[in-house]
Amino acid sequence: MNPETSRPAATALIDPKALMEIRSLELRARAVVEGFLHGLHRSPFHGFSVEFTEYRGYTPGDDLRYLDWRVLARSDRHVIKKFEDETNLRCHLVVDQSLSMAFGPGGVTKAAYAATLAATLAYFLHLQGDAIGLLTFDEAVRDFLPARQRSDHLRRLMLALEKPAGGRATDLAAPLERVAQLVRRRGLVVLISDFLAPLAELERSLLLLAAGGQETAVFQVLDPTELTLGFERPTLFQDVESGRELYIDPATARGGYLEKITAHGAAVAGICERLGVGFTRLATDQPLELALLEFLQRRMRRKTRGRR
Amino acid sequence: MSFLTPLFLLGGIALALPILFHLIRRTTRERTAFSSLMFLEPSPPRLTQRSRLEHWLLLLLRCLALALLALGFARPFFKEASTEAKPADGGRRVVVLVDTSASMRRAGLWDEARARVAAVVRTMQPGDEVAVYAFAREVRPLLSFGEWTTTLAADRAALVAARLAAESPGWTGTELGRALMVAAEALGEGEGRPTSGPREIVLVSDLQAGGRAESLQGYEWPKGVTVRVETLAAKTGTNAGLQLIAESAETEGQAAAVRVRLINAPDAKREAFRVGWVRTTGGDFVGEPVATYVPPGQSRVVALPVATADGAQAIGLRGDDDDFDNTVYVVPPVPLRASVVYLGTERAEDATQPLFFLRRALPGTARMALTVTVPSAAAPWPAEATLWVVTETLTAARAGALRERVLAGQTVLATPPNVAAAAALAPLLGQPALPVEEGRPGNYAMWAEIDFKHPLFSAFADPRYGDFTKIHFWNYRKLDIGGVSDARVLARFDRGDPAVVEFPVGKGRVVLFAAGWNPADSQLAVSSKFVPLLLALLELSGSPANPTGPLAVGDTVAAAAAGETATVTLAGGAAVSLAAGAREFVPSAPGIYAIANGVRRETRAVNLDPSESRTAPMAADELERLGVPLARAAAARPATPAGAAVLQGAEAESRQKLWRWFIVATLILLVGETLLAGRTARRRTAGAGALNS
Repeated sequence: MNPETSRPAATALIDPKALMEIRSLELRARAVVEGFLHGLHRSPFHGFSVEFTEYRGYTPGDDLRYLDWRVLARSDRHVIKKFEDETNLRCHLVVDQSLSMAFGPGGVTKAAYAATLAATLAYFLHLQGDAIGLLTFDEAVRDFLPARQRSDHLRRLMLALEKPAGGRATDLAAPLERVAQLVRRRGLVVLISDFLAPLAELERSLLLLAAGGQETAVFQVLDPTELTLGFERPTLFQDVESGRELYIDPATARGGYLEKITAHGAAVAGICERLGVGFTRLATDQPLELALLEFLQRRMRRKTRGRR
Repeated sequence: MSFLTPLFLLGGIALALPILFHLIRRTTRERTAFSSLMFLEPSPPRLTQRSRLEHWLLLLLRCLALALLALGFARPFFKEASTEAKPADGGRRVVVLVDTSASMRRAGLWDEARARVAAVVRTMQPGDEVAVYAFAREVRPLLSFGEWTTTLAADRAALVAARLAAESPGWTGTELGRALMVAAEALGEGEGRPTSGPREIVLVSDLQAGGRAESLQGYEWPKGVTVRVETLAAKTGTNAGLQLIAESAETEGQAAAVRVRLINAPDAKREAFRVGWVRTTGGDFVGEPVATYVPPGQSRVVALPVATADGAQAIGLRGDDDDFDNTVYVVPPVPLRASVVYLGTERAEDATQPLFFLRRALPGTARMALTVTVPSAAAPWPAEATLWVVTETLTAARAGALRERVLAGQTVLATPPNVAAAAALAPLLGQPALPVEEGRPGNYAMWAEIDFKHPLFSAFADPRYGDFTKIHFWNYRKLDIGGVSDARVLARFDRGDPAVVEFPVGKGRVVLFAAGWNPADSQLAVSSKFVPLLLALLELSGSPANPTGPLAVGDTVAAAAAGETATVTLAGGAAVSLAAGAREFVPSAPGIYAIANGVRRETRAVNLDPSESRTAPMAADELERLGVPLARAAAARPATPAGAAVLQGAEAESRQKLWRWFIVATLILLVGETLLAGRTARRRTAGAGALNS
């Protein structure tokens, strides 16, 4: 059955505003995932068994645990058995926690939305027995948790996600490069940010990840007012990150603003497109399940594409 | 409603400002946090459309406040019926004060004064009451209120003109302060009925600086009396005056020069003058004049040698525009004569005897010619003697003869050198005997209990000069004057014995010094008190007194003693008529007056009041400073009806003071505006806060 048809009815989705009423990030993630799972008829994900890759001659010093005793019994050769991986998937969530993420005049800040999104993904992958890592950043890398599978690791991850947004700027390149350095094994990197920063280094960083064999997914989280400049009165606009002030009359500035932010979004999407990176734009008034669905669908497509 | 300064209504243009500001969207103080400004361009403030004018009430308040402010500054007033013509129930009471002092003799001033008075009288309404006073040193009514009211309204101007025509400036000084006081009091007298109309003094004067307005100091100016000043400006610019400098003790030695002070007015245009002797009849200089240079506002003292030419009894000034004060009359001082007759036996050169000191104490001065004569025993006594000094032991015959002189009014100073001489004075005093003995003080004696009230010692009454303790007396004659009832002890020795005794004898007197001034008796002759004491004695004995100081026109001059008749003639021939039995007269013009009475002939110089030469106009605010309320606007009464209307408007405006109400209304509006704007702003920020949270 095509998951496309099994998209939950919009009415069954949880409004992000209502979701944010749940204080605990873990509960929030669970609510999203379970609601989502209820809507699915079949889980396409069975988990991944440990996959054998190759044999290799034993050299003194190798761990004797991996010695293939059966081969030794049969052919009297010392052979070391190598496996694909210990876990199914190593997923690293890279979450923007800069101050611009704290913006949310409608009640749901982008930071909360992004954290919930990250927690949902983490919870979901955890349920599947995948290892989850986390890297949060603003103008520099804030926290890094390596990918683990243990359930208390999930809690630590939630705690790191719940930290309030800070930082005066957003640097997209540095955390990606850091992930590329730290994560040697192939896996999944999910980047969640508003991308309200210069994009000069983004393409190079994403390329670096792809070259490292990392599958990458990009979520752009924006507030609806950022998409429409939904203000009426002219006021002094203050940049939450730099503190810079500008006198803006939304009526006159709207046209130029929408043009620019659309172009910016298109630029991000274009970069992702070029690198084969999945790109999803989310407004904070969109239900999180949609994001989860989108994510899974993309992975499914990718898997089937890979198997062909 | 009319406006005094309508140009301020242009301030109404400022009404455009609040409208403009309301059209411009408010540059907000509100801040909106936004995630990133990277896609935003700053927008310029823009005009909202006319239909979108916000806060109509606020705009209205602001416009109204500005409009009221502009109106207030334009000084609005309601036109009133003309205040000029408004007949108060009693009409106005006006005193016209006309200056007739000597300074009004300057060219053209008097004619102008008459014209001004006529103009003032012409403006009077039939209900007004007017009195005209002339003032100089004294104030004289020319026309009283009563005469004014009893004259037909049509004839009043002519009457005033006729009274003024009979008048002319005199020679006296100005007493402006006194004149104003008299006029103010004349206005205050309601003549039986209360006056409710405005009361005003119109002062027609040249307002010279020497006008003595200072006497108003301390005078409480009556309420409701205003003064309008009609200042007369002299056409000639320069006025310099002469002032005789009184001879002082220091100048007595150089009596050959007469000194005059030449004062030039501060507004003078000329600086070079010539000063010299002239005849009293006028004419050119006698002898060589002294050329001098006096900058405006300054004075110079010029010394002139005493005139030798006959008839040159005046000093004239040439080079001045106004000549009313250019002559001072000078009478050369006549030395007074006094003779002292010394009855004694010693030689004049004997420095141990009283005569030696007497001669040196009375040397005679420029003012006083003193002669000390010592008649020999056989020679007859001189007929006239101011003072007799007796040191010899008088024989009974000589004492009797001397007593005759004393009884006739002469004065004897007796200083008996011994007991015998003292005892011999008894017949002179008309006493059978004068008990006397030699007083022998242990160390020395001093004068004490001095009667400073007596003319002999009155010169020493000041404590600075009253110390006689430095004068020591070694010997004196101890007199017992218990028997002489009318003897007056003027000083005693410190032991209580009489030291100076005055015995009245007939019309004259005998003054007895119990100790002589010769060194054998005392230190009196070498003390500083000796000469003043002798001079006081001379004065006491009827030596003619020094003439009083310089005389000014208007001063009272004593002409004759009681019971005498005097004739006074002014140099130039005119006789001054004295009222029957009058002993004094008041000179009405400067000049040299010859006074002859039964006893003596005397010439006195009468000059112009020196302050009359200070003809520069006094400071404009001087009268106000002295508390006189000036009607300033009236002084600058315009001739055109338009100007009069403006003035009326100004008066009405200053009475109504509507501008105050406009300012008050503006303030109230501004308070309302502040409250309203505050509330609007609060509401708006509250709304914005609700949106943000």
